[in-house]
Amino acid sequence: MNVVARTPVPSINAPDAASHHSLDRLWSRAPGFIGWLCSTNHKDIGLRYIVTAFTFFGLAGILALLMRIQLAFPEMHFLGPDLYNQIFTVHGSTMMFLFAVPVMEGIAIYFVPLMVGTRNVAFPRLNAFGYFAYVAGGLLLWGGLLTNTGADVGWFAYVPLSGPQFSPGHRVDVWADMITLTEISALVGAVQVITTVFKQRAPGMSLNRLPIFVWAQVVASFMVIFAMPSVMIASGFLAMDRLTHVNTHFFNPAEGGDALLYQHLFWFFGHPEVYIIFIPATGFVSTMIETFSGRRIFGYTALVLSLIATAFIGFGLWVHHMFATPLPNLGRSFFTASSMMIAIPNGVQMFCWIATLWSGPRLRRAVASAVSADKTQDRATSRARAPGTAHPTARIPTPLWFVLGFVFIFMMGGLTGIILASIPLDIQVHDTYFVVAHFHYVLIGGAVFPLFGAFYYWFPKWTGRMLNQSLGRWNFWTLFFGFNIAFFPMHILGLKGMTRRIYTYVAETGWGNLNLLATIGAGIIGISILLFLVNVFVSRKRGEIAQANPWFAPSLEWAIPSPPPAYNYYFLPSVRGGHALWENPEEQPIVVGLSTEKREVLNTTIMDAQPEHRYELAVDSIWPLLLAIVVGLTMTWFIFSPWAIPGGAFASMLVLFAWFWRGTEPKHLIEAAEGEPAPEDVPEEPATA
Amino acid sequence: MSTPAKTIDVSHLEPHVMDARSPIWWGNLLLLCIETTMFALLVATYFYIHMNYAAWPPPRATNSNYQTNPALGYPTINLLLILASVVPMFIADRACLRRDAGTVKICMTAMVIIGLVTIALRFLEFGCLQFRWDDNAYAGIVWTTVGMHLLHLVTATAENFILCLWLWIKGMDDKHARDVRVGAVYWYWIAAIWIPLYVIVYFGPRLI
Repeated sequence: MNVVARTPVPSINAPDAASHHSLDRLWSRAPGFIGWLCSTNHKDIGLRYIVTAFTFFGLAGILALLMRIQLAFPEMHFLGPDLYNQIFTVHGSTMMFLFAVPVMEGIAIYFVPLMVGTRNVAFPRLNAFGYFAYVAGGLLLWGGLLTNTGADVGWFAYVPLSGPQFSPGHRVDVWADMITLTEISALVGAVQVITTVFKQRAPGMSLNRLPIFVWAQVVASFMVIFAMPSVMIASGFLAMDRLTHVNTHFFNPAEGGDALLYQHLFWFFGHPEVYIIFIPATGFVSTMIETFSGRRIFGYTALVLSLIATAFIGFGLWVHHMFATPLPNLGRSFFTASSMMIAIPNGVQMFCWIATLWSGPRLRRAVASAVSADKTQDRATSRARAPGTAHPTARIPTPLWFVLGFVFIFMMGGLTGIILASIPLDIQVHDTYFVVAHFHYVLIGGAVFPLFGAFYYWFPKWTGRMLNQSLGRWNFWTLFFGFNIAFFPMHILGLKGMTRRIYTYVAETGWGNLNLLATIGAGIIGISILLFLVNVFVSRKRGEIAQANPWFAPSLEWAIPSPPPAYNYYFLPSVRGGHALWENPEEQPIVVGLSTEKREVLNTTIMDAQPEHRYELAVDSIWPLLLAIVVGLTMTWFIFSPWAIPGGAFASMLVLFAWFWRGTEPKHLIEAAEGEPAPEDVPEEPATA
Repeated sequence: MSTPAKTIDVSHLEPHVMDARSPIWWGNLLLLCIETTMFALLVATYFYIHMNYAAWPPPRATNSNYQTNPALGYPTINLLLILASVVPMFIADRACLRRDAGTVKICMTAMVIIGLVTIALRFLEFGCLQFRWDDNAYAGIVWTTVGMHLLHLVTATAENFILCLWLWIKGMDDKHARDVRVGAVYWYWIAAIWIPLYVIVYFGPRLI
């Protein structure tokens, strides 16, 4: 990179070590394991989400490799049909509920407060509770798999297969109760993000100056709020239908219930879910494209409106998952039209990104200089002269490679999406590997590629060190080729009639070669993920030390040291545009007058972010963890007995009483403020004020 | 190291606000969005299941002449009580703005008692539904709808109880006055959402 990174803005950081220390103590968690469990700092919780979600990604990836081994050759006996069913169900459920949504949420929880210029999320304890509830859900699902109680009915668990008649035992109950726990967590996260953005922005950050990343997280959070209840109801009805002594008949046609009702409820959540995963990823893409092109993003308003339009239309598409069911023709046509329509806002986004990259001075300059260097010297000498600048493409930073990979792969997924939105074609390839190929192109292309880009982009913020960029490019190219080798053949397999979720096939089908190819691709993806892990573990300790703003990015999180101090901003910043660090931040006023004895943040007005009032946040607490344990045990109990609900509700209430009662004891504040330096050291009075 | 020319001093701003400017108020509003979506989906389920029946509510297999419409007595009394309970809640809400601790304490105590009565009446309401939850899909959805609302009555009453306890033991500070006001919004919602649900559950079988 040829742009000299600026030092952090001096004015909003701690003036000296002593002042840093005193505020840091107020906002840090207590030392030791108990302190770790009690932490309510959004950076702790956000990173925990990200690390946990990535662990589940790895585990579900291992399941995917097991499936690919089983399918590599005809009539393999590596996995039996029963185990295969459990494995693909847990793979899909983990990727959707325990990886994709939580990882996006974790990044939001980490970066939204930083980007809007505040010190923590609006409800820090609830935030901690959300994380632990998510872990409980993950333990439940994986505990089930490891005890041969793994869900085995596919990630959407259609009735009647998942109903009491065809799925006796407790496998489906484990799945249904995992849903409840993870959705609690998602809803809690969504409420956090929206409230933090609405009420805690830096003075001057009116809604039209909000970074696109933050807009994307807000839009996705609203989608969570209106979509997640639907899957909780679907899985709740399913659990009630199945539970002995409850035995309702929601999905039992013999008693007036309806199997299609389940599909409607599930997909009314399930389709928005795709956008709940994809919209934050577009936020990463916009952020990285803006930074690396070195200009304000092209079409800010159009981009924001596209996000909102995508969210609205995203609620009107769910029936396209059900084209193979007996629906009225008018309904089918309507949902075909709306499925096509969502291409419009997504297309607008795509064109805005291309326009930004095309006209970005920074990237153009970098590539042009490399091209001219290439023209004047032959390649070998230029490579020898300056490693890393030898070839024009070497000037493309690693995170941007993932963005470019996203553009290509997501577009491929979009093209097959248009095919699937059309009813005759959909019915032809319904439940085949064509669909498997499509949604992996959309989800891995649309979410995992931007996510890896985001890892490379923000890793220095988390750790203070850069990931190795060359290894990163290896990571990218192996992932890119591995992905296409693994999933492109599935389109053809689907067209040839290979149905999804079959555990083996006979040689006469002629599917063997393409399946073997897909398995090889999956292996390459595995190698790519290993390269990434090596990069993370090595760079964490030995990577190049990152400057505070290594990419010369415009958003506020880069104004403070990496990793950020516990309090984020010593003086809260103010902004006068959408690109805080590109707009002479040294001249911006800083916020003074917040308490240094309690955890206080500034609340601003919703539209214009004018300072409005001060707001005290709760201190660290063990009660969120205890509540999550109670809720987790309740849902585990609910697998076996309906009495879990009143019992669990009563226990939760006791914990909440304690949470409430203890939480407002001023003792904690006094403890936290103990050892504060003399008043003249506190930052309420800056040297010049 | 340049020093900023200007600062924005926020030390004069209020440490607590009592209204829609508070983050807690927004958190509560978003919770109510979630719960309203829940009830909207339950209502959608109700009408979806209705499509599967020629007669609504479905006749009993054992005795087709038996009365299947839900009884109106307890449910209507409870509806009126829930609606009336908005008054003491509103008085407490307003009294918080005046920092009138005495009125708030009395109204909140009344709210706890009213809450317990509505919960008790709600259990009698289940008997008025004429079906057991596991009789058929119709019974399942009405029991679930009424039960979900019961869950809110219980939650809100528990919340009122703990706040009430705090007020009597520790007195009223600004923070807890705000909590009472946010709890009031929750209670208004509980009362308001019950009007359409009551109409659907108890008059739906008679009207459609």
